[in-house]
Amino acid sequence: MTGLELVVTRSAEVVPGVRELVLARPDGGPLPAHPAGSHVVAECGERRNAYSLTNGGAEPREYAVAVLRRPGGRGGSAWLHERRPGDPLVVSAPRCAFAPVLTARRHLLVAGGIGITPMLAHVRDAVRWNRDVELLYAHRPDAPAYAADLDRLLGERLRRTSDRREFRGLLGDALRRQPLGTHLYVCGPAPLMELVTDTAEAAGWPAQRVHRERFTAAEVAPGTPFTARLRRSGRDVAVAAGTTLLDALHAAGVAVPSMCRQGVCGECRVPVLAGQPQHRDEYLDEHERAAGTCVLPCVSRSETGVLEVDL
Amino acid sequence: MNPESRLARFPFPLRADTYRYSTNIEPARVPVRTETGEWGGVLLDVDDDYAADLAERKRILKADPGRLQVLPHVRPACWDALLTCLRELAAQRPDELSLRCEGGELAWRNDLLGVCARFREGDDDALPGGPLGFLGSQIQDDIVLLDQREGALWADAGLVTFASGWSLRFDVGMRFDEVHGPVPRVHEDGVLARAERFLLRLRPGQEYRRTNWSLAAGGRLDHSAESSPEWAADRARAATARGRELAALVHLRVEVQHLVRLGASGALLFLIRTYLLPLAELARVPAWRLRLGRVLAELPDDIAGYKGLTPFRDAAVEYLLGS
Amino acid sequence: MDPGVDHAGTSFAVMSFSAEGRAVARRWAAALTATGAPVWAWHGDGATERALAELRDRLDGATVGWRLMLAGPEADVLRARSLAVERDAIDAEIRVHVCGTGRKRVWCAHCGGTTETECEAGQAVACANCGRGLLVHDHVSRRHAAYLGVLADPET
Repeated sequence: MTGLELVVTRSAEVVPGVRELVLARPDGGPLPAHPAGSHVVAECGERRNAYSLTNGGAEPREYAVAVLRRPGGRGGSAWLHERRPGDPLVVSAPRCAFAPVLTARRHLLVAGGIGITPMLAHVRDAVRWNRDVELLYAHRPDAPAYAADLDRLLGERLRRTSDRREFRGLLGDALRRQPLGTHLYVCGPAPLMELVTDTAEAAGWPAQRVHRERFTAAEVAPGTPFTARLRRSGRDVAVAAGTTLLDALHAAGVAVPSMCRQGVCGECRVPVLAGQPQHRDEYLDEHERAAGTCVLPCVSRSETGVLEVDL
Repeated sequence: MNPESRLARFPFPLRADTYRYSTNIEPARVPVRTETGEWGGVLLDVDDDYAADLAERKRILKADPGRLQVLPHVRPACWDALLTCLRELAAQRPDELSLRCEGGELAWRNDLLGVCARFREGDDDALPGGPLGFLGSQIQDDIVLLDQREGALWADAGLVTFASGWSLRFDVGMRFDEVHGPVPRVHEDGVLARAERFLLRLRPGQEYRRTNWSLAAGGRLDHSAESSPEWAADRARAATARGRELAALVHLRVEVQHLVRLGASGALLFLIRTYLLPLAELARVPAWRLRLGRVLAELPDDIAGYKGLTPFRDAAVEYLLGS
Repeated sequence: MDPGVDHAGTSFAVMSFSAEGRAVARRWAAALTATGAPVWAWHGDGATERALAELRDRLDGATVGWRLMLAGPEADVLRARSLAVERDAIDAEIRVHVCGTGRKRVWCAHCGGTTETECEAGQAVACANCGRGLLVHDHVSRRHAAYLGVLADPET
């Protein structure tokens, strides 16, 4: 990964379990600009995790990310929680698949828990360009990260709750009364994302109006075992349930370039020669999915017992 | 520009003796050595025609303000394009061009044109023509801004005074594939779909370029659909011209197109810089003369027709390949 | 071809132009009645100012979930669609069925005027506004709801 070599300039726990890291170039110089809703992939010790940027994206000199400590995670978040001012940190250049749709008459943002992070950037951008924006924010009772910032930026356009039933009510209500031209953005834990997209679909929202940012690949079902057949080297690699194809390939000593490991960036794309991929990524478009001629091994698996790839 | 310098900087686009549309996209800012010199080292090429081209654009725009089109939602992208290009110009020619931030205001100084402007980002009224109109008065390139949504790119703003046979006023608001609707072969061959998928995935700050070409009668930059009554006479003349007369009248018209994913807005900036070279000048370079002649001789009729060169193709081939 | 009814919608506007359009709209209305979703229907000879004003009212009051279905000659369907898109509808919310006459709109690149006439791409038409002879290009603008017309090349 050709990354940006940055240093931590601030490190603070904003609510229990969530640490905000502010990053800058060692010389304090300008960083690549990016749209609201962008993320970077951070090298966290042995791991690489994607984090949304919460800072404004025009001529930034600092990137800010908020890291939720995941006790059951693979260690990346715990490693980042130990970073302190002066520590080096390598991140990728920003990438974006969750930008505000400029034609939208209104932007309805729905966030759950740490999923608030990309919404912060959205809210800042909306306020800057005077866009019509509303935010519905579900959070734990003790930990509404960034609640004060959001209150200040949004006033009455922010509805937040830590009560599940109230959230469902607010959500259903919000999705049924939006003027034509509204776009919906959702980020949060998988069950919340599912609830929001299902409710939106039932209320007649076309998929083109619904935008999801999903950084929780770990919550995806482990899947069934299959065999990866490598055409060029003539080898078979067994992929166990709960192991990604990418990890299995790496363990077998097969080099595949990768970045986000969450099916977002497309770096690890591999051509498929036979078998049917089970696509779990957010990267390929519908034509590529239907064609089944490539796969993102970091998250995707196989529908067939054998998946033959061009490696 | 003097003929020697024009020839030395000319981006001769043909890399083989046959031509078909392809997804010919390559990284920007990589210099290309040619038989006569070099081109392509910079994103925004400021050359000896700078003041003349911008005066021509001003004249065209005054006669037809519809050459500037901005759908309201892309306003932030117009500002992003302006600031990105002004910073780029300033970095390229720091002695003559500068963009400074002074007390919350931006100050642009262009000694090449004797222009000074102070403005606040987002204040459209502070600049003549708004951000896109002003940008068009500082760079020789035509400008199109593509918004990305619904899994596609949309040509939602632009300032185009030097179009080759198309009309921004008609095309504004179209999807990428609709803009290219009339181009032969690129749909069936998948060339266009591949190009769009590539562009959709460009990350903030990434910059690529491609070239396009055609033959045009007369030395005018403006070959837009709107202005066709003005160039119809040259075209009619070229249809019957031969030899030297033809070589002075007919030009190889090359577009160096840059594609830049803007950072802050996420929009795609499409810059089209047009270069013209009369066949008589081009023929001074034997390799170019042969190559263009062979390409024209072999070019399928549908592509030749779309490029608008059918009326003088045979005569051009005869001139270039004849003894 | 009839694209059929979008069952994902929760309320519908059905507009039809010409007799052929009306027959299609009736089929759609019958299919929608079965779903119980609210349906607003309008029929007329063409996408007149009055028709577009009616559509504008529906668009201004619509909430996400609304769908627009259009049937009739290309010129009228394109005009109605152009208005809907200008007022924030997206392609996924609009279904069209072109039927009836080959009436098209041609936009003049030189004066910006629009000429409505029976024609095909590749034919020449006279601009109703400036009188120039225009070659109709096979190039359609969703905003202008029209084909591109450019001064016909004297030698072609």
